[in-house]
Amino acid sequence: MKVKVWGARGSVPAPGPEMNRFGGNTSCVQVTFKDESQLILDAGTGIRALGLQLADASQVGIILTHLHLDHIQGLMFFPPCFRSDAEITIWGPSSPETSLENRIARYISAPLSPVEVRELPCSVAFREAPASEWKIGDIEIRAEAVTHRGPTLGYRITDGESTLCYIPDHEPALGAPLASLGDEWISGYDLAKDADLLIHDCQYTDDEYPAHVGWGHSGMEDTLTFAHRVGAKHVLLFHHDPLHTDVKLERMEAQARKRWIEMGHERKSIELAREGTEIEFGSVEPLVQATEEPASTTGTSAAQELSTRG
Amino acid sequence: MTPSQKPLELILARNLLTSISTPSFLVDGSGTMVFYNEAAAAFLGRSFEEAGQMTAEEWLAAFGPLSKDGEPVELDEISLTQAVQDGQPAHGSFRIRTARNGTETVEAAAFPLVASPNGSSGAMIMFWPRGVGETG
Repeated sequence: MKVKVWGARGSVPAPGPEMNRFGGNTSCVQVTFKDESQLILDAGTGIRALGLQLADASQVGIILTHLHLDHIQGLMFFPPCFRSDAEITIWGPSSPETSLENRIARYISAPLSPVEVRELPCSVAFREAPASEWKIGDIEIRAEAVTHRGPTLGYRITDGESTLCYIPDHEPALGAPLASLGDEWISGYDLAKDADLLIHDCQYTDDEYPAHVGWGHSGMEDTLTFAHRVGAKHVLLFHHDPLHTDVKLERMEAQARKRWIEMGHERKSIELAREGTEIEFGSVEPLVQATEEPASTTGTSAAQELSTRG
Repeated sequence: MTPSQKPLELILARNLLTSISTPSFLVDGSGTMVFYNEAAAAFLGRSFEEAGQMTAEEWLAAFGPLSKDGEPVELDEISLTQAVQDGQPAHGSFRIRTARNGTETVEAAAFPLVASPNGSSGAMIMFWPRGVGETG
């Protein structure tokens, strides 16, 4: 299984020269399986550039964790949506209020959009994620509700050899310190248990988190505690605060590694997600590669260390 | 989901109950008492950490509810239980064993936790000693 990050920013796009190394696009991750089939996780603004790479793809699967704007804003600018030969299937959380299609159509409709869903040239199907495990081809997917504002899912994706857990917006410590909770009382625990790669919310520093309790996101210590408790083998910290510059994020990454080592893990098994980060895993250990665009990574990231191995 | 993982609505309900001073407890979809808060612990005279999760039968033996004569009442005979099983809120009063007086009459309100069409994940039950909060 190979994962590529196209957007790791949270809340709102954050472009600017001081954001270039981590990127300013919002949540979007491309997953490629060993049979070359693909899934796209979330449709933040990162999906626009990804779509340009999918010129020949006739079938596209997108799974959405939730419908906050930073996870769907790129849909309207996703090039396959404007190709008549493209068949797009979008999975997302159900709601007692109305259908997934109707909820997404609130964004892709006037006055927010010049086009309506029904006007898109592609063929698009909306599927509410089942409460139980389901399959797309040979890929097993499990969705579960997780602690965030509004109906929000986390996903566990397994291809038979390896497991990815994706919980980009998550506040598992809301209301109780994680260290004092039993496993069964931790939101997302089963989804993330023993995952080969965990992509998880780490929006705030521990100093920032107290002013944002209940906003649906995690402080660093809670993220690391969660990752440690579930036994994640590799951790990609995600959903960076739009106010956090490259310098700030690099400082957070250094702090995260220090704490992760104190928890008994290897330094190279945790990093902050950068646009262009690629991780291939499922054999012995993850092979992480940072691509050049848009982030020309500097410093001593695990991505750099591992990319020089081969 | 493994058998141990609680549904999110129970996790969030526990977070709420941990933060309030109204005696409250949670039951899961099978009727097992899976948590009660510190206010309930003070009332019952036993912390949740000490008591742990209890099946309906264990709860009945430990705390009641009890008839006027002090005999345990079958849980299915209580309107609250029936209401929760049917996915409807309910209010009732009954006697339970407490730390202070041996037994005490309480008023209880039960709210089923329903998050999917598949039915209730359990219920949140808050209770008050009869008379508390009344004026005049």
